[in-house]
Amino acid sequence: MRTIAILAAGLTTALSPVAATSQSMTPMRGEVRSFTDAFAVRVFPGNPYNQRIRVEVHVYDQNFEPVAAKITPSAFLLAGQASRPVLVVVPFDGANERKVRICTESIPFPSEQTQIRAQICGKFFGHRRF
Amino acid sequence: MKFLRAATAAGLLAACTGHQASAATGNVLFNGTITATCTITVNSNGTMTVSSNLQSLSSHNAGGSAGSAQVDTTGGVQLSVDPVTTTTVPTSDVTATTWTPTFATTGAQTIAETGTATALTVPGTSTVAVNLAGTKSGTNRFSAGNYQATVTLRCE
Repeated sequence: MRTIAILAAGLTTALSPVAATSQSMTPMRGEVRSFTDAFAVRVFPGNPYNQRIRVEVHVYDQNFEPVAAKITPSAFLLAGQASRPVLVVVPFDGANERKVRICTESIPFPSEQTQIRAQICGKFFGHRRF
Repeated sequence: MKFLRAATAAGLLAACTGHQASAATGNVLFNGTITATCTITVNSNGTMTVSSNLQSLSSHNAGGSAGSAQVDTTGGVQLSVDPVTTTTVPTSDVTATTWTPTFATTGAQTIAETGTATALTVPGTSTVAVNLAGTKSGTNRFSAGNYQATVTLRCE
């Protein structure tokens, strides 16, 4: 029941999940109101490459410290030019509001001297309503 | 009486023939909202070479090459590189190295080489050159072996 409430709170917000291909993550901004002790955001990581890549989703606070959020799934293989939904449930941890970054990271190509890790971060603001 | 009815009907008919059916019009509104989006596509990784004094291992050095990535954005985002934390060095290298990642963009928006977060305000496609320089100070030198470092290019 609690999970349903969290999902409802998150999904009824104005986060329009219009996932087009070749976007690394959408949406990148969002404001969520929740009546529970957590808020939920659904993001759509995308794979702009033509080959399958491994994608990881992480949640950070404003100082880029990791946040103990529930990410489903947090790591997965994504086909070329594809995107898929990822549900992120962020606890308020006693606060009335919380700003977090939800980041999609691609795993860099191996066997190169200087690797580039691409990271797309969205900024999300959760408000708690009683 | 018959004449009166006929005259009335004829009058009404004449009055109606001068009128056309009025056309109704309405406006249909379309709204669209584009939120900030950003796509990073890594084209190639970079290569670092060592300087003649063995105190610089950099993609700027002769024979080195910058990593390349493509950024497609609507604007309204920020591009940055993280401090380098993941490195692999030869076991013979036991001295400290200072790693400095930088980036520059061309294309939709030109950004001179910098290491600080910079706003991407122009929508379109920009090509990002990512450079990395490792430096040693004092009497420390880079040693033979394989070095590897990961630079995180972030769009947020």
